[in-house]
Amino acid sequence: MIDDKIGLEILSNRFQAIVDEMAQALFRTAHTVFIKETQDYGAVLVSPGGEVFAASRRYGVLMMVGMPMDDVIRIMGDDVAEGDIFITNDPVSTGGMCTHLNDVFLWKPVFRRGKLICYAWTFVHMSDVGGRVSGSIAPSSTELVQEGIRIPPQKLFRAGKLDETFLNMFLANTRTGEQNWGDMKACIAALSTAERRMAELLERYGTPAIEKGIVNVLDYAEMQARRVISGVPDGEYRFSDFIEADMVGQGMLRINLKLTIAGGEMHMDFTGTAPQVRAALNLPSFSKTGHWMLITGVVNWLCTQEPNIAYNAGLVRPMKVHIPKGTLINPEPGAAVGARYSTSHKVCDVIIGALAQAVPDQLPATDSGQGSILMVAVPDPTTSETKVSVIQPAVGGSGGRPVDDGVDGTMVILNFLKNVPTELLEREMPTILIRQYGLREDSGGAGRYRGGTGSIIEFETHAPYSTVTSRNMERYVFPPAGRLGGTPGTTGYTLLNPDSNRARDIGKIDILEMNAGDVLRIGTQGGGGYGDPLERPAAKVWDDVLDGYVSERTAREKYGVAGDPTTGLDAAATEKLRAEMRKARGGKPLKAFDFGPVREAYHERWPSAMHDAISAIVQPMPRVQRQMFYRALYEEIDRMIDAGEKVTPAQVPAVLARIQGGSPERAPARRAG
Amino acid sequence: MSKDSARFRLGVDIGGTFTDVLVMEEDSGRLIALKVPSNRKDPEDSIIQGLEQLRERHEVAPEAIHYFSHGTTLGVNTLLERDGAEVGLLTTKGFRDILELRRLRLSKANDLFAPRPISLVPRRRVIEVEERLGQDGAVIIPIEKASVLAAARRLIEMGARNIAICFLHSYRHDRHERQAKAWIAEAFPDVYVITSSELWPQQREYERCLVSVINGYIGARMRTYFDTLQVKAKQAGTQCRIFSTKSNGGVMGVEAAGDRPVETLLSGPASGVIGAAFIGKVIGDERLITLDMGGTSVDMAVIQGEVPYSNENTVGDYPVLLPAVDVSAIGAGGGSVAWLDAEGVLKVGPRSAGARPGPACYSRGGVEPTVTDAYAALGIMSPDGLLGGEMKLDIDKARTALATIGDKLGKTPEQTADAILQVATANIYAELVPQLARRGVDGNEFSLLAYGAAGPTHVFMLARELNVRRVLVPPTPGLLCALGCLVADLRADFVRSLWQEADELSDQTLQKTFAGLEADARDWLERQKVDVTQTYLIRSADMCYAGQSFELNIVFPDEPLTVEALKRWFHDRYELVYGFADRSNPIRILEARVQIVGVTSKPNFDAVRPFTVASRKPVTERRVYEHGKAVTASIRQRSALNPGDTFDGPAVVEQYDTTIYIPEGFKVSIDRWHNLIGERRK
Repeated sequence: MIDDKIGLEILSNRFQAIVDEMAQALFRTAHTVFIKETQDYGAVLVSPGGEVFAASRRYGVLMMVGMPMDDVIRIMGDDVAEGDIFITNDPVSTGGMCTHLNDVFLWKPVFRRGKLICYAWTFVHMSDVGGRVSGSIAPSSTELVQEGIRIPPQKLFRAGKLDETFLNMFLANTRTGEQNWGDMKACIAALSTAERRMAELLERYGTPAIEKGIVNVLDYAEMQARRVISGVPDGEYRFSDFIEADMVGQGMLRINLKLTIAGGEMHMDFTGTAPQVRAALNLPSFSKTGHWMLITGVVNWLCTQEPNIAYNAGLVRPMKVHIPKGTLINPEPGAAVGARYSTSHKVCDVIIGALAQAVPDQLPATDSGQGSILMVAVPDPTTSETKVSVIQPAVGGSGGRPVDDGVDGTMVILNFLKNVPTELLEREMPTILIRQYGLREDSGGAGRYRGGTGSIIEFETHAPYSTVTSRNMERYVFPPAGRLGGTPGTTGYTLLNPDSNRARDIGKIDILEMNAGDVLRIGTQGGGGYGDPLERPAAKVWDDVLDGYVSERTAREKYGVAGDPTTGLDAAATEKLRAEMRKARGGKPLKAFDFGPVREAYHERWPSAMHDAISAIVQPMPRVQRQMFYRALYEEIDRMIDAGEKVTPAQVPAVLARIQGGSPERAPARRAG
Repeated sequence: MSKDSARFRLGVDIGGTFTDVLVMEEDSGRLIALKVPSNRKDPEDSIIQGLEQLRERHEVAPEAIHYFSHGTTLGVNTLLERDGAEVGLLTTKGFRDILELRRLRLSKANDLFAPRPISLVPRRRVIEVEERLGQDGAVIIPIEKASVLAAARRLIEMGARNIAICFLHSYRHDRHERQAKAWIAEAFPDVYVITSSELWPQQREYERCLVSVINGYIGARMRTYFDTLQVKAKQAGTQCRIFSTKSNGGVMGVEAAGDRPVETLLSGPASGVIGAAFIGKVIGDERLITLDMGGTSVDMAVIQGEVPYSNENTVGDYPVLLPAVDVSAIGAGGGSVAWLDAEGVLKVGPRSAGARPGPACYSRGGVEPTVTDAYAALGIMSPDGLLGGEMKLDIDKARTALATIGDKLGKTPEQTADAILQVATANIYAELVPQLARRGVDGNEFSLLAYGAAGPTHVFMLARELNVRRVLVPPTPGLLCALGCLVADLRADFVRSLWQEADELSDQTLQKTFAGLEADARDWLERQKVDVTQTYLIRSADMCYAGQSFELNIVFPDEPLTVEALKRWFHDRYELVYGFADRSNPIRILEARVQIVGVTSKPNFDAVRPFTVASRKPVTERRVYEHGKAVTASIRQRSALNPGDTFDGPAVVEQYDTTIYIPEGFKVSIDRWHNLIGERRK
């Protein structure tokens, strides 16, 4: 119980000042692109028990609440002294703190008169930590060791003395050693800042008050979170969605959730989620309570419901998680994890989908789900050196919200990304010509609140061997769902040489080589609509028509709004049209979720019970067999359905036995994208 | 009092609630300060009212005013309140959504309901023109008169009387923009047409486009305002030219301001910093952290000899590329509302009671407790309030408001008020310290200079938490922006984007670029037709290592400009900032910049007499409750203080435009320029 309701706000402000100052010190001293452009760094204060008790809400990644530091603190044991700085990037030994090798963590204990008070903690996303590809991350990597050098938790400084042997070994195993060291120095500067400020604070208020303050701010956030969660009706809410891993030969990977709300807590059971894969999509969460890459959606929801909520790990205490070991979001040690962002975002969508059944007016319809960065590498014909540049973040629109339309061309959840001025890009890469960068008209789902439109990026290359990559592409098969009568948004597409006789739809991109004169057009997803489109004021629909967000045809067919560009909105015709459309519904209730015909057909073919049966039967198997037979079962049942056989979940064991009786050593061939 | 030969300088700062008028008699150094209620509808009327009061109460004849400079929030209000003109926009084919897509990033994090940004120009009034230039200026799609005119006609039919034109790469190659403007101007002479490259030719199409759109959006109202002001001021008897302050801390003639109102957007906060820097220069203290606390906002800046500039400024959610004095907003000011959250924890702000209904003690209908109510209830502010008793405070109303939350906290109104001030201080601290870190400065080498109506009231409470060298409160802290107007120089910025590797640049091209910028700059100053005592140019370039994106602005020393020298300056500066420099790494030059400064003659501040009439009120005492205990504070009148006076806290110093609170543990002295200097007692 918090007894000092004045001191709490003062100390939490002071803690906030320290983490914001750390973030500024880090940002100012670092000098790599990831830090500046994508803000991929973080600075927090951590309790002796391993909970983040203060985190910046303004600078760096905004996801550090829920990073579990407890395991790594335990591993380092009692060998902690003043002047020590620790380092690690290893997902295997840190119990969900590190989720891919590029994120390198440095932390430092803060002492007062020989007593450990807390830790200052930082991380930076390094541009390269070695491994099989430049930049270390490739969706097609199959194991962790391909993704760079692993640093198990250890001391970088021992009582103020740098371990140069270790440092040199680490830097020598990366492609950007000098820059990495620069980023590490930035972290060290931030840690020193925090140590100095904490010392001032301890001097000003005394050790007992600060120790109590740390406990209090965490408890306070927990109280607030529990209060907000208590407003949600108790019950069980189920939802699932699919990662489109077809690009790396893995078909559709199901994320399955049973969310139980009871007594101010959320229990998230992910049983039934696909096994870990031989691709870099695994998310090593270690099934930790409130793991930071699982709970983005919930934290965003809490912060939306309670804008003044204390922003620390107390928030995630009521978020209990159960994930079977060996699944995509709790893989066994050694799984490739580099491109885990797609998975993280899909988990966010799934949790929002479940929670939205309980509190429909507090959550948006589904957004584009694609947080991809479109890059191009072009060789210089004279020097033969390769130049790499970001073309644009390929993100789509957000879903309609219970209070407002979705944002066009922008995701509300992944909203810290910045785009690149075309003028800058073309100057940087003179062989690239951007032909269009704008909104993808008429792509947002219809609704009382319209889904945000996607965007279109079209460019032409004048250089041979232009290599395009765009990891984390998603929702090319199933569109973002509509909510409460809103219709789905649209799927993404990639067209090579559109409007020509060589036009080709090439789907999601892993790596694409373009030739001089080739044109690539990417259309990103429009978000799902929210609420009944017939309830959207006709004048607003017509404004959307005049502004070109929505076509006349969509206005008529989905919103029941008629008009003419020269004479304007036709109120009488609209009223008549809407009445007819309401009548045609025949009193059927609005769909809670509208997934669109493609996904509904998929659900028809693959009912939940079938996914459950397959997951359950492979779950106890050793990893390699689990992966092998999981894919084999899907392919076999697919074949059987195609052949006109009826397959029920009860038959799954028999199908498995038949496959195993065949040639168990033969792994199914990887399908090309 | 006023002799026939007396010459006066007039500085006016029009704020949301008050219009501050500051007059300085050039020979005697006498200062006259007035606060007149602002008139939202006709902002110029409050200036005229000020002029009348000057004539009637202070015998300052309008004819005797030889210099008249003012700042207005009209532009920024028009933009933020979305109350501007209907603008039409022409863009390059394929780039209609330049304003819709912005730079993608939303300003509010972790908010699923973050408002959908609404463009200043609705999408229907953005039309693509068949044209395209490459980054090297090559014509990819030629521009055609018929299509430009057809597009312009459609915009005009939709009601646009202002047309902005923004084509790709015009910052380097502006011929398509110029051509389009010429065709439209010829065909539709009564339409106001502006190109993005003529306003601010910097690379980055969204931001450059926005500069031209905002200029059109606020332009019509601003031109009307400046025209009316000139007419009415002349009728009131003034004969001198009128200047307008700019975001960069300088001034320009109002005629020029009417064409480029976008340059005035951030002039309000800039003027205060100019005033602070002027004081710093006069007293020889060149390291200042400024704290401007008013009723609805708290702003800070760091002055290290020179006034700081930033090229990454924002107004609301809009980035504004033009250089502006680097001021950061760090809180909600004296009107910040105190409240309890659902867990019963005391919070202060971010919501402000603003000017209406305002703090409870102002008796304008406010019932919620604010920071100002806390000052009043604790005895920090006198019941007589400010402005010589024109703004009395109702202490009972303050206590009643405080009791609404005090009862729930189980505290007395005094204890509640004390807690509110401590939380408010922690709020400001938490915002200020990271801003110091961003600028890489350490507070204990700096003086903390406070201004605004509430800055001097709160500054010592902040100084208690923050290690600063000393506290400085200038003579008329409530009118420091007006002082800034009065002492500002003519100042204009010019930019040209190079975006070129240094090794690919010849000395000749580099020198030619700067020669061009300098010629533009001198031409600008020439056209202002003002006598200046001195002219100087600040030449600089934004540069970075190739492949990195952390750029530094390198101000050129007074040495011959060559590419080699430029590279050396950059390496040296990089090493200074980052601790190391890779001198073999290729360098890229991004923006070439020139700022011209026409130094205006400055009033003689050495002879400053800030208070026309010295108060005869004796030193009294009052009970003040703060920081957990009640003390007896001495109450003094600022106008009765003289250079050389010293006294200890707890003390309250009252003056026309603010109240200074000096807690126990600080001693203060008055310097020869009437600044109040506070230091910790050893």
